[in-house]
Amino acid sequence: MRSRNGNPSLLLSVCAITLFSLSNLFGFEEYLISYRYVVKDAILYNESLQVSHAMLPCKGHPTLQTIDLPLAKEDSILSTIKENQEEFIEYIHRLGMQVEHQGETLQSMHTSTTILTLPTTCFKVEINEISAKITPLK
Amino acid sequence: MKNSLFLAALLSTSLLVAAETVQPQEIQISEQASSINSASSEAAQENQEQILSAENDILISVTGQGVAPMNTSSPAQAYALAKRAAVADAYRLIAEKVKGVRVDGQDLIKNMMVQRSTIRTSVNAMVKNANIVETNFKEGLCEVEMEILLSYSQFVQ
Repeated sequence: MRSRNGNPSLLLSVCAITLFSLSNLFGFEEYLISYRYVVKDAILYNESLQVSHAMLPCKGHPTLQTIDLPLAKEDSILSTIKENQEEFIEYIHRLGMQVEHQGETLQSMHTSTTILTLPTTCFKVEINEISAKITPLK
Repeated sequence: MKNSLFLAALLSTSLLVAAETVQPQEIQISEQASSINSASSEAAQENQEQILSAENDILISVTGQGVAPMNTSSPAQAYALAKRAAVADAYRLIAEKVKGVRVDGQDLIKNMMVQRSTIRTSVNAMVKNANIVETNFKEGLCEVEMEILLSYSQFVQ
C-alpha cells in the first residue's frame, strides 16, 4: 500500500540517483593532445607530449579506438596519462603517426633524423570513479 | 718403342680419367644454375604474389633498431629510450616499404678527383595501425619487430 500511495523521500532519492548517473553519462570533457619525438642516429633525442583543455567545442564524432586508463589519485587527466604513460603512448602510436625521416651520407659517414608526430587531435575524456575513458574525435 | 707406346696409353687413360672427373663438376654447375633459376623464379612468384588486391591483403614485417643513450640513470630508462628509438626506426622502415624513399645524390668532382660525395634520403608518410610483435633488448640495442596489414579497402577512395 505504501508504494501505491507513494513515498516522497524514496522518489526523491531515486530521482537523485538517476540524475547523477545521467550527468555521469554526459559528463565528458574535451582535450587537445599532441605528441612528438625525435630520434637522431638511432638515439632518442627529444620527446614531448602536450595536453590541453579544449577552449572551443571540438567538431567530429568519437571513433571506436578507445582506451580505458585507471584513474590516478589526483583525479585529473594529466596525472592519469602520466601514471599510464607507456600504455597511452602505445595507444597513440596505433592511432597513426606522421613519419618524417631524413638521412644523409657525407663522405661515407651516415647520419639520420626521424621525427614521429601525432598531429594535434581532439579527445573526448569521460572520467568516472575508477577510470578515464579516452576517445579520439574525427 | 714399347716405352713410348706405354706412355701414350698412360696419357690417354689419364685424359679419360680427367674428362670423367670434369663431367661431374659440369653437372654440379648446371645443378647450381638450375637451382639459381628456380630460386629467381620463386622470388619472381613471391613478387607476383605481393600485389595488393581485393582478395589479397599484404602483411609487411620490419625490425627496427634503437640504441640507449650513454647517460641513462637506470637500465629501465635505457630500455625505454632504446625501445622508443627502435619503434621510430620500425615506423620509418614501414613508410619506406609502403610509400618509397626519395633519394638525392650529389658528387663534386674537381680535377678528375671526387671532392665531396653526398647522398640524401627522405621519407614522409602517415602510418596507422602498426603492431609491435616482439621486442628484444640486448647489450644496449633494442630490436622491435613490427607488422602492418595492408588491405585493399584502405586505399580505395
